[in-house]
Amino acid sequence: MQIVVAGLSHKTAELALREKLSLFSQEEIARKIKDSPIADVVFLSTCNRFEVYACGFKDGADGPEVLLRFFEGLIGKNPDKEDLYLYSGLEAVEHLLKVASGLDSLVVGETEILGQVKEAYEWAKKEGFTGKIGNILFQRALFVGKKVRSETGISVGQTSVASVAVELAQSIFGRLSESSVLVLGAGQMAELMVRHLSSQKTQKIMVSNRTRDRAETLAQNFKASVLPWENRAEALQEVDIVLASTGAPEAVLTKEMVEKSLKNRRGRSLFMVDIAMPRDIEEAVHTLEHVYLYRLEDLEHIVAKNLEGRASEIQKAKEIIDSKTAEMDEWLKALKEGRELSFKHSNRPKMRRIEASQNKGVVNEK
Amino acid sequence: MSLELITIKMTLAVYSAATALSFVYLAYKDEKWNRWMLNLLGIGIALHLLSFAFRIHSFWQISENRYFLPINTFFGALSYLALAVCAIFFIIESRHRLGILGAFVLPWASLSLGVAVFVASPEISGLVPALQSYWINIHPMVLMSAYAAFGNAFGVGLALLVQEHQIKSRKPIALCYRLPSIEELDNLNYRIIAAAFPILTIGIIMGGVWAENAWGRFWGWDPKETWALITALVYAGYLHMRYLMGLRGKKAIYVSMVGFACVVFTFAGVNFLSELHGYLSKG
Amino acid sequence: MKLFRSIRFNIILGAIIALLSALGTFLPQIETSPDKVEMYRSLHPFSFRILNFFGAFHLYQTWYFIALLGLMAFDIIVCKLWNQPPDLNATALPPENTNEEELEKHWAQREEALRLKPFQSSLDSSLGFDETFKRTKSFFKGQDYAVHDEVKTSSGAAFLATKHRMQRWGSYIAHIALVVILIGAGLKALYGFTEMVPVMEGETAAMKNRPWTLSVEKFTVHFYPKTFQPSLFSSVLRVKAGDELLGAKTIRVNHPLDIHGIRFYQASWGAAGMFRSATLNLDGTTLTLQQRVPKKIPGTPFAVEADVLMPDFTISDGRADTASLDLKNPAVRFLFTVAGKPTPPLWLFVLYPKVCLKENPDGTLEHAEVPPFSLVSVDPVLFSGIQVAYDPGYPWVIGGALLWVLGLILLFYLHRRRFWVLLERGENEKTKISIGAWSSKGGRDFEKEFARLTAEMKSRLSFNKMEA
Repeated sequence: MQIVVAGLSHKTAELALREKLSLFSQEEIARKIKDSPIADVVFLSTCNRFEVYACGFKDGADGPEVLLRFFEGLIGKNPDKEDLYLYSGLEAVEHLLKVASGLDSLVVGETEILGQVKEAYEWAKKEGFTGKIGNILFQRALFVGKKVRSETGISVGQTSVASVAVELAQSIFGRLSESSVLVLGAGQMAELMVRHLSSQKTQKIMVSNRTRDRAETLAQNFKASVLPWENRAEALQEVDIVLASTGAPEAVLTKEMVEKSLKNRRGRSLFMVDIAMPRDIEEAVHTLEHVYLYRLEDLEHIVAKNLEGRASEIQKAKEIIDSKTAEMDEWLKALKEGRELSFKHSNRPKMRRIEASQNKGVVNEK
Repeated sequence: MSLELITIKMTLAVYSAATALSFVYLAYKDEKWNRWMLNLLGIGIALHLLSFAFRIHSFWQISENRYFLPINTFFGALSYLALAVCAIFFIIESRHRLGILGAFVLPWASLSLGVAVFVASPEISGLVPALQSYWINIHPMVLMSAYAAFGNAFGVGLALLVQEHQIKSRKPIALCYRLPSIEELDNLNYRIIAAAFPILTIGIIMGGVWAENAWGRFWGWDPKETWALITALVYAGYLHMRYLMGLRGKKAIYVSMVGFACVVFTFAGVNFLSELHGYLSKG
Repeated sequence: MKLFRSIRFNIILGAIIALLSALGTFLPQIETSPDKVEMYRSLHPFSFRILNFFGAFHLYQTWYFIALLGLMAFDIIVCKLWNQPPDLNATALPPENTNEEELEKHWAQREEALRLKPFQSSLDSSLGFDETFKRTKSFFKGQDYAVHDEVKTSSGAAFLATKHRMQRWGSYIAHIALVVILIGAGLKALYGFTEMVPVMEGETAAMKNRPWTLSVEKFTVHFYPKTFQPSLFSSVLRVKAGDELLGAKTIRVNHPLDIHGIRFYQASWGAAGMFRSATLNLDGTTLTLQQRVPKKIPGTPFAVEADVLMPDFTISDGRADTASLDLKNPAVRFLFTVAGKPTPPLWLFVLYPKVCLKENPDGTLEHAEVPPFSLVSVDPVLFSGIQVAYDPGYPWVIGGALLWVLGLILLFYLHRRRFWVLLERGENEKTKISIGAWSSKGGRDFEKEFARLTAEMKSRLSFNKMEA
């Protein structure tokens, strides 16, 4: 009964090494684990980390040693000390809670990792890898991951320019399924933003570029339609979101054009994002009612502030993690003595309640 | 102190606590504040109903008042208004999960009940003959329910102004992402008003029928009647401007706020002008 | 005409009406408070003359105010009769009599147009064109939708499915209702009347607007304990035309008598200065006096006579007066004679036994020592204020009000849904179905409903022929 984690992440290892590990399929790794003395185990493989959490070892094998050898087998050579980290006991518990809470992520507080932990655990459970301690440990980790995100501001605010733009669009229109998008220019940045927007099931995307071919390429990727360049001003009447990133030397949307389109918009807001340099959209349109123009530096400013905000919440998150680690410690000690404690806020009913309320929220919001 | 006063003061305390929590929830993203706010609101509404029951009981003691509801005084009216604001918010919250709007709506309920408890006289008196009609159980209730709904719409409008300002400033704070979107707030504001407007006019018409029965005229340009009509005109203007002229966003909110100002004046201000409808006059 | 139909013009008109109405509430109106108008005249004679020139003291009866209301009614009629029926977004599909050529030409455009509807979806069916057409129609019918505006061509078909279409009449009905209400108000102004007939208890008074007489056989007023706040007042009323009895009823507030649409209301009551008796307390013995009937006080050389009752005693210009006809502070004047010689009259009060005022020969008052007797009670003869009103417009007003309510309920509480369904015949028995939808409420509720409907439709179309 010894909790050990070994792994490598974006903080310790080079991309090349992480990629090498991520090439293994789940089944391959599962087979390798079965062949090793590792028991009660969950392994987590994402593009940023590869970790093996083990809570027991067959025949009283030495945990850290076993895991080191396991990684050696995967990588094919003795892993560098700097690449690999190894925690055991409470440190391992704390590490898992941190990972689940997004404290160990590249972007602090990102939410994807929680889903990845959940998937990894559920897969391991389904395949019969987990035992009693592993089950409790991971259920606690998922619970703490949710708790930290709901009780601290660690996941508040988007952290990339494109996602900030999408979030702003949502702050203006709510769900974007009734909103159309007009994309001016067909550069890389535009593509990134369109990818984010189309993941929100926008109603319609139109691409307009001075050279039609590039517009068509972009349009094909996103099931968008191509709009002739000279029709861009009329299109303002029907779209809600405008993304501008052309290389034009002067503004391609003037205040006059926007003002004219407003007459037929019946007061619906118009969200314009200008990431071009020099600018594509006249700054003066921001003074018009119902028009919100964000420039690249505005978005970057928000990203910087959001990151700052998340960083300032790390301490609060750590406090929660500390107290939950201590709870886990007590539970493990009691288990050693043959007793089984129930957690003060037993995770199961509570998780169910959180999930229930979230589900309800989803149903209501749809 | 009577049971009624004890319970109404407890209600005020609970509403105030819920209001305070709604601000805490606004400042800190933590669902537990929202849950507590709603729990408290539920308790407050229950206490308020209990207090009303006590009031009805002591009202009943005066034989002329039997079968009539005690909202003939300023106290009774304000108290009912607070209850209606809370109840309507409770319904909107549970249907749309918009607890975040509590900070924009609940202060008005607390304020209304606070004025009732600390300013108005809770004394119970016999109804004057004109008020001894079954209409007293319907006409004021209907109108004040509409007022309470308009109060909710006013709160939603405030939230929209905050949200609009945030986004226009280009430096939105975290609150911006937690408030509903501009279009949703605009739509919610419209839907509340569209739902309450028929109720308002039905209440006015009921008043006319009552007046025909009690005073011999359907409409007499009494200040209270006139101001209720002005309120209806302003909201009708809002609905037309929004529906036919596409007036949305900030300007639409300003129009609806003029409407709410009329509501407040109709409810409270007109008492200084009207002889027939004053809560303190002989009716 | 265009001006009257413009929404901006009507908003301004409404605003003017609202502002004028508001102004009227801040100035006393002659109909409701003539005394206050009189007071205003004496306090501000100059501004009174200006305001009165504009009719500001009977604002709601001025020709221009009534003209504005009339203009409003006119505009409503013009708007509702001339403007197109409010069937929003009905342009996506051509009316049923559009020829096929036209339809083909616009086929691509229509699909494009559907994509711009607030809600849209598309799905494919491999059931064959006719079967798909049949099933999509029956699907909507099964969901209580009305299917109409069907068009079918060689290349495809289209139809509209709607629910609660009644909703679009709401606006019509509500606006027409307003006109009906205004007609009712006009009828009242032209043919109706209102008059106040004060009748002393036991007496008879004549009406002005009809050759009828009103007699109050008995007038009763009850007060809440220890106040002059009435809890009930009622008159036993008989209405006669000559000798013929038209109607009789004990009327009280909220319970008028109705004779052929003419209604008799218990509006007010008061004491005009007459009383049946006043009772004095003289050291434990009571003495009851009738009005203006002197009585000797037994065992003394005094004689006393009660002659005047002020129901709401007040002092104006130093003299006794009454502030109103309500029994708020009843006071009685007593004349004493000592061995036939008169002494100054004294005022005594029911509510204030410790107060006594002496009236000088010039009518001025001064405080006097409290005499060894007090006024215990007075039994005033009350008059009953009966308001007679005839309002031939009332049924119109009520009818209009009901229409208004109906219209608003249709308009705001019915949820109209509208689906544009477009079926395009494809190759190999495949059919492409495009759906656009609009709802009068929109928002999340409908989004949910739309998702449910399209999902159900999909499953309906995935059954194979045998199962169906």
